Amino acid sequence: MALLSTEDVVVRFGGLRALSETNLDVEAGLVTGLIGPNGAGKTTCFNVITGLQTPDSGRVIFDGADITRRTPTRRARLGIARTFQKLEAFSSLSARDNVLVAAEQRRAWDRSRFNPGQVADELLARVGIAGVADYMVGTLPTGTARLVELARALALNPRILLLDEPSSGLNEEETDEMAALLRGLVGDGLAVLLVEHDMSFVMGTCATIYVLDFGEIIAHGAPGEIQSNQRVRTAYLGSAAASGAAS
Amino acid sequence: MRLKVKPTTIAVAVVVLAGVLFVINSNRGPAPFNGSNLATWLVVGFSLGGIYAISACGLVVTYSTTGIFNFAHGAIGCFLAFLYWELRVNRHWSAPLALFAVIFVAAPIVGIVLDVVLMRRLRNAALVVQLMVTVGLMLTFMGITLTLWKPTTARSLPHFYEGTAGVKFGGTTATWHRIITVGLAFAIALLLRALLYRTRLGIAMRAVVDNRNLAGLNGARPGLISGASWALGCMTAAIAGILIAPETGMVVENLTLVILTAFAAAAIAQLKSVPWAFAGGIFIGLVSAFSGQFMAYGKDWQYAADAIPALILLVAVLFLPHARLETGTIRATRRTERLTKPWEAVAGACAMVALVVAWANGWIPWFYGTHFGQRTAVWLGRGAGFLVVGMIMLSLIPLTGWAGQVSFANFAIAGFGAAMYAHVGGQHGNPLGMVWVALMCAPLGVVVALPALRLKGLYLALATMAFAQLADKLLFRHPAIINQVQNGALYAPLKLFGFRISSDAADRKAFVIFAAIAFAALFLLLELLRRSRWARRWIAVADSPAASATIGVNLTVTKIAVFALSGAIAGFAGTLLGLSTGALRVDSFPLFAGLPLVLLLAVHGVRYPAAAFVGVISLAAFPALYELLHQATWLDEVALIGPGLAAVGMAYRPAGTVFYAGRDLAGLLPWRRDARREKALAVAQLRDQNIGRDEIGELGLTRPFSLDKVVQLERVLHVADDLAQRPSELTVTDLVEERHGVAVD
Repeated sequence: MALLSTEDVVVRFGGLRALSETNLDVEAGLVTGLIGPNGAGKTTCFNVITGLQTPDSGRVIFDGADITRRTPTRRARLGIARTFQKLEAFSSLSARDNVLVAAEQRRAWDRSRFNPGQVADELLARVGIAGVADYMVGTLPTGTARLVELARALALNPRILLLDEPSSGLNEEETDEMAALLRGLVGDGLAVLLVEHDMSFVMGTCATIYVLDFGEIIAHGAPGEIQSNQRVRTAYLGSAAASGAAS
Repeated sequence: MRLKVKPTTIAVAVVVLAGVLFVINSNRGPAPFNGSNLATWLVVGFSLGGIYAISACGLVVTYSTTGIFNFAHGAIGCFLAFLYWELRVNRHWSAPLALFAVIFVAAPIVGIVLDVVLMRRLRNAALVVQLMVTVGLMLTFMGITLTLWKPTTARSLPHFYEGTAGVKFGGTTATWHRIITVGLAFAIALLLRALLYRTRLGIAMRAVVDNRNLAGLNGARPGLISGASWALGCMTAAIAGILIAPETGMVVENLTLVILTAFAAAAIAQLKSVPWAFAGGIFIGLVSAFSGQFMAYGKDWQYAADAIPALILLVAVLFLPHARLETGTIRATRRTERLTKPWEAVAGACAMVALVVAWANGWIPWFYGTHFGQRTAVWLGRGAGFLVVGMIMLSLIPLTGWAGQVSFANFAIAGFGAAMYAHVGGQHGNPLGMVWVALMCAPLGVVVALPALRLKGLYLALATMAFAQLADKLLFRHPAIINQVQNGALYAPLKLFGFRISSDAADRKAFVIFAAIAFAALFLLLELLRRSRWARRWIAVADSPAASATIGVNLTVTKIAVFALSGAIAGFAGTLLGLSTGALRVDSFPLFAGLPLVLLLAVHGVRYPAAAFVGVISLAAFPALYELLHQATWLDEVALIGPGLAAVGMAYRPAGTVFYAGRDLAGLLPWRRDARREKALAVAQLRDQNIGRDEIGELGLTRPFSLDKVVQLERVLHVADDLAQRPSELTVTDLVEERHGVAVD
């Protein structure tokens, strides 16, 4: 039984089908990849899972319960956390306060005793940005602000973490650190759903990968299978280039 | 397209309809529903509606093509209508010539100047700044008009073709002025719609608002296009102003307030559809004319007709669809925001009280000189009044400064506080009554905001403005709320620790000191609150509602909390406002009296409680200047134009004087080593940014590349130059490593 699954999720924007009958399973303790060309529906999928977008039909199941109609707030309390492709950090708060807000929020439902300030400091150190704790996030470079978002998401002590292009804005060294961090997190039993364009990052960290194209899942499997999948090549490279590469 | 109607929408619709029928039934006038009356209604309604439609269409076009909602639309129309009066009536130009000069010369010039000087800078500014600048612009245009055309002279603008018969219609006559109005409204709506959807310019206009840079790269010229939008907007404003001036009279406030009607029509159009804005304008015209023709309000509701546009605006907001969670655009202007330490806040509060006590006792020699000493009682009364107004400003700090919710209703809420206090303790001088009023004004603050809570911030600003208008025209005029003919004093002196506090000359010193202590206490409360999790959450919700929701913040509860706090502070300030004036008049709380307070606070820095105190000082500065300069008449003009103009300046300096003073002067304080470090960093950053500025000019590449892109390009070109001159085994990577001291894989 997967921790989170979407069942036949459909989202329409006017005449456009952003997602058509999308079925995804995300398991605890694994990094699941979600890749696809621009406009394939990856971010829409994240919005459906976190409740920012209500699907036209289909269901979202989390830990055996149907959460399709729950508000984003309720889902956060269940343990679903995310980062955003277009930065959504609290730009006029300091990096530490960004994380602190989330940690303080968790106090409202988490019974365990913890000190939000201490949690914030630990998480900033864990993602490697303790040095800019007092900087206002609006003045930080994009890559660093992404790490603030990651720390903020982790402050919820989530059961599943949805990361929308975490490596964009990071250099290669930082991307490697991010990969190591993700491995550590799933080692603790966290489920991660990862949207990413950096293929070496995806292939190196994901246990299983879904490929979205025009709102449809066109392939699903281990990294090796995806790399050799003909439909995936076509989706990414166009039919002529793919046949050229295959021949 | 499927039309989805929620059950709650239907329920609200039924309630609204029932309310309307009840009001109509209980306020029917003597005019029967016969043919000639109905014909008159239609003629008047359509011509009024036509004017509203023109104004609303212009508003919608500017908003949908520039992303900036122009609160000054009506004031600009008013200014241009006065200009038309000057040319047509005062200088006896012929009507076609004067019309051409105003509509096709003056209006586009005003629009283009506004665009170049202000609006382009506002494109990416926070909503708070956009609103303050355009509201400031509204007051500026009102001030300019009042200065150029002093209201002491009576003016009137003739109808077009006045004296000719017009056309018989039913049992009534449609004058040519009215026929022209309706025809013109239709023509303008059709033209604007066609312009937006059928012409290259229109399509480019709509593209620019979606993504200015992308449209620029695809050959659109954003500068030209936004200039055209503002020119068009000002032309519609001019036409509406010229057409409506004969109906409302040449009164600046009336002409400017026509804009509330246009706001209502624009809200019906969801701020984006020209045809719906047209329909909305006509609808409001018909409703107003219906009220004028068939209704007779009792003497308790004499001004009800004036409240109709505001009511329609509020109702329209109720029916708007839920907004999607939006992303924030507030930009940080410095690296670190240092919060005031608790001891600093305590010291600041004590200093404020000490300053006021010293001033009130005449211990500050300069203030006890010739000008101020002679009128101590007057000045003590003023001082108390300014401090009370400062408390209303304080009420806006958590709401607008932190939670990013712009409300123009807090002055009206203070008015309710004043009125309530007269009933629940004020008549006996009971201090507990103040606490009661504060507690009752908290839910009032929430109720005002409730319809707009689920919508984007602009609607809240519109809805609160409508509420302020409604309160002024409908509620404060009702004897149950403010009874002007009541015998005896409304408020007994407040007795506190053996002191008498009231507006009597003998009690004023105690009042000023009490007001200072109350102000300082609120200041301290807010400074401590800023360090709490509530303030953090409010700022988070303002910065990114979507992210706040996904970390488990309940947006509605969070917003309601801040509205309640703000309402309570405003209500408390209201009790003192009532006490300081001693009596209440039905016209004490007009919309236009509340706007300058919001602007003044914003100019000084809406995020910082200290800004409210600076606001108090600047309020006091005006009467002080009058005395120092022996009532110089040019100060009248400064007083009229100054506040608006200061807010307009926010387009250039958005964060407020307290912020800039803090940034530039805090380093002088011995214990603020952090401020000195911050400043050194900023200077270094500025130097970095200026590298390559000269070369950019030589490259001729200012557009569409941004400055830092060009600097990057410049650096790459340098590397390429080096590469060409150096031995061939060197690679670009080596050179980059060598130059920047970083490792490149």
